[in-house]
Amino acid sequence: MDLKSIVHVCLAGLSTGMFIWLVASGLTLIFGVLGVLNFAHGSFYMLGAYCCFTVLSRLGNNFWLGLLFGPLAVCVVGYVIERFFLRYVYRLELPYQLLLTFAFVLLFDDLVKIIWGAGSLGSPSVSGLAGSVPILGRNFPTYSLFIIAVGPLVALGLWALIEKTWYGRIIRAASSDREMASAIGVNVPVLFTAVFIFGTWLGAMGGGLAVPYVGLLTPGMGEAIIIDAFVVAVIGGLGSLKGAFLGALIIGLLSSFGTRFIPAFDMFLTFILMAAVLLWRPQGFFGEAT
Amino acid sequence: MSKKGFTRRKFIKTGLMTAGAAALGTGVLKPLGLWAATPKIKGPIKVGYQCVLSGTLAGYGEFHKMGVTMAMEEINAAGGIAGNKLDIEYRDSTLKADEAIKNARYFADSWEADFLGGIDSSGQALALAPVMAELDRVLMVTHAATEKLTEQQVFKNGIKQIFRISMPTYQDGNAAAFVAKDLPAKTWATVSPKYEYGYTCWAMFKDTLSKLKPDVSFIADSWAPFGTTDFRSHINTIMDAAPEGFYSVEWAGELIAFIKQANQAGMFDKIKHVMLPVGAAMDVLEGVGMEMPDNIWISGRYFFMYPNDARNNGWVANFHKRWNHYPAYVSETGYSAMFAFKKAVETAGSKDTKAVVQALEGMTLASPAGDRVFRKEDHQAMYEVPWGLTVSNPKYPFKVMGKQIVIPAKECFNRPPFEGPNTKPPF
Repeated sequence: MDLKSIVHVCLAGLSTGMFIWLVASGLTLIFGVLGVLNFAHGSFYMLGAYCCFTVLSRLGNNFWLGLLFGPLAVCVVGYVIERFFLRYVYRLELPYQLLLTFAFVLLFDDLVKIIWGAGSLGSPSVSGLAGSVPILGRNFPTYSLFIIAVGPLVALGLWALIEKTWYGRIIRAASSDREMASAIGVNVPVLFTAVFIFGTWLGAMGGGLAVPYVGLLTPGMGEAIIIDAFVVAVIGGLGSLKGAFLGALIIGLLSSFGTRFIPAFDMFLTFILMAAVLLWRPQGFFGEAT
Repeated sequence: MSKKGFTRRKFIKTGLMTAGAAALGTGVLKPLGLWAATPKIKGPIKVGYQCVLSGTLAGYGEFHKMGVTMAMEEINAAGGIAGNKLDIEYRDSTLKADEAIKNARYFADSWEADFLGGIDSSGQALALAPVMAELDRVLMVTHAATEKLTEQQVFKNGIKQIFRISMPTYQDGNAAAFVAKDLPAKTWATVSPKYEYGYTCWAMFKDTLSKLKPDVSFIADSWAPFGTTDFRSHINTIMDAAPEGFYSVEWAGELIAFIKQANQAGMFDKIKHVMLPVGAAMDVLEGVGMEMPDNIWISGRYFFMYPNDARNNGWVANFHKRWNHYPAYVSETGYSAMFAFKKAVETAGSKDTKAVVQALEGMTLASPAGDRVFRKEDHQAMYEVPWGLTVSNPKYPFKVMGKQIVIPAKECFNRPPFEGPNTKPPF
């Protein structure tokens, strides 16, 4: 076990973790503000990837245009879901919300098969980020470095938005007391729709960024990542962005080190951690005790 | 009130007429047409086919369906099976064992299928074996590869209802070792699926290669759980071990992701001898496209450019015309499975399980992949698929096999009784 090996395992873990964070951020934001555990978030990720792929292959394989326009298309889907479906279950019990959002997962998986076909689609590499850079004599993919940089930037952006802007203050107000915010003139339904669309956009961006990272698109591709994102959200404390970021870092590094050094247990490690956190601190690292 | 009465009368009248017509119909029709030739078989011949139609591997199911549907169209256009229409129902196997069993029970008990086909996962195939004995229907496996199915369930436990038309793990483990013995690599490592199929292939490859070339060593293995999309830490394990040869039975989308990520990490520049037993699958070739490195050893259960003869080339052309795709291996095995049923039923003159099993045992089937012989002892179809080196070909937008090596099935398939001396290659 030499330095080179450890550095590369760390880097692989960081890129995995940042990737999970990108998906978990939207999930956490939606839960934190709307109180809805959105199972269909993985579908937004999948749709983001497919829309990004379609746009970029129409526009001369320009990944950046795909990343710009693809997730925007998914926002329309997010709007429809919030405005015409989710809005009616806010006051119901959690199982009803899960049922509704899970129905959307099945719906979107089939929709993707109808529109894009059931086979997997190989994705093009990104010009400029396609190669790799030597780190301590071993190549590390440039695109993974890019993901490692994007993760903290998204975290910083979200923190600034919520803590430092007027919109952020309204969001915080509405999430801590819906009725009071409404009483002082905040249009809560519109705000919820906006937050849901923004969360959708974050999930879809995760999907768009996954296109060159994973290397292929398959129907149902959102199901694996949504489980990781849920684990991360639970460990960090449901609704806490700070917690989700930290949780994603830990899970990413843990799975990377686990695969490399304790391969027999790599599948259990994340769940063992989740179980331990739930026992020790049921509300997660940064969750508020209820 | 009068209206209701009328309706009832009409209803009874219609019923009587239908019953009469039916009785008359069979009476009149029975001695006519093709039924007369095979009076024992009352059609249609029903095949219940299950394959994975949902989730990340749904593309495999679609390719199964293309081959099977094309066979059904051809068979029915040419007068069916012994004059009876071939009827097929598809169900999603979901890759879960309990779902496969549920489907099999539905097919046999509710839908009254004569035969069953399909099955992608080894776990499903093994779980289904005792159920097939109980349902007493022939199951033609077209994808699941574990040798335990034919060696243990069919040969040892005597479940005669199971046949396999597709390549077993012998191609992935034994045949790969025959190719590897002539390569200069002395140290080997693997990243393979963390379940039965991955373990069994790597074990077989190690075992056979050690016998063929005693000075090789196997220095690293990393096991990726089903559904892995991020192979970076597995690639790290391999790069740390720095083997001369690399072997992986990752397959489908996971293999596509693996190849792309290994490419990014420069793994193929460091390791010169790479063997991917399922790398010649169409979804992988098309999915990786021109990013597939040259000079990688690939194989599969069937490869559309082999054998290069009129029968196969004609079939591939028809397939491409019908579906606008090159056939995946499951398309060929699904297609040929229907023709195996046809030949067996027509030879037996019956669709009864016992008679069909007898007809299938030792039967030679002419198929796009070449002539297949169903070995009597273990019901495994003997045929050949080449191993080949990846190369560009201007005719295709993906890499194909250039140099090809064919290891005869006789040489690389384990032999009954599967235990004891001279049952495993080399012979």
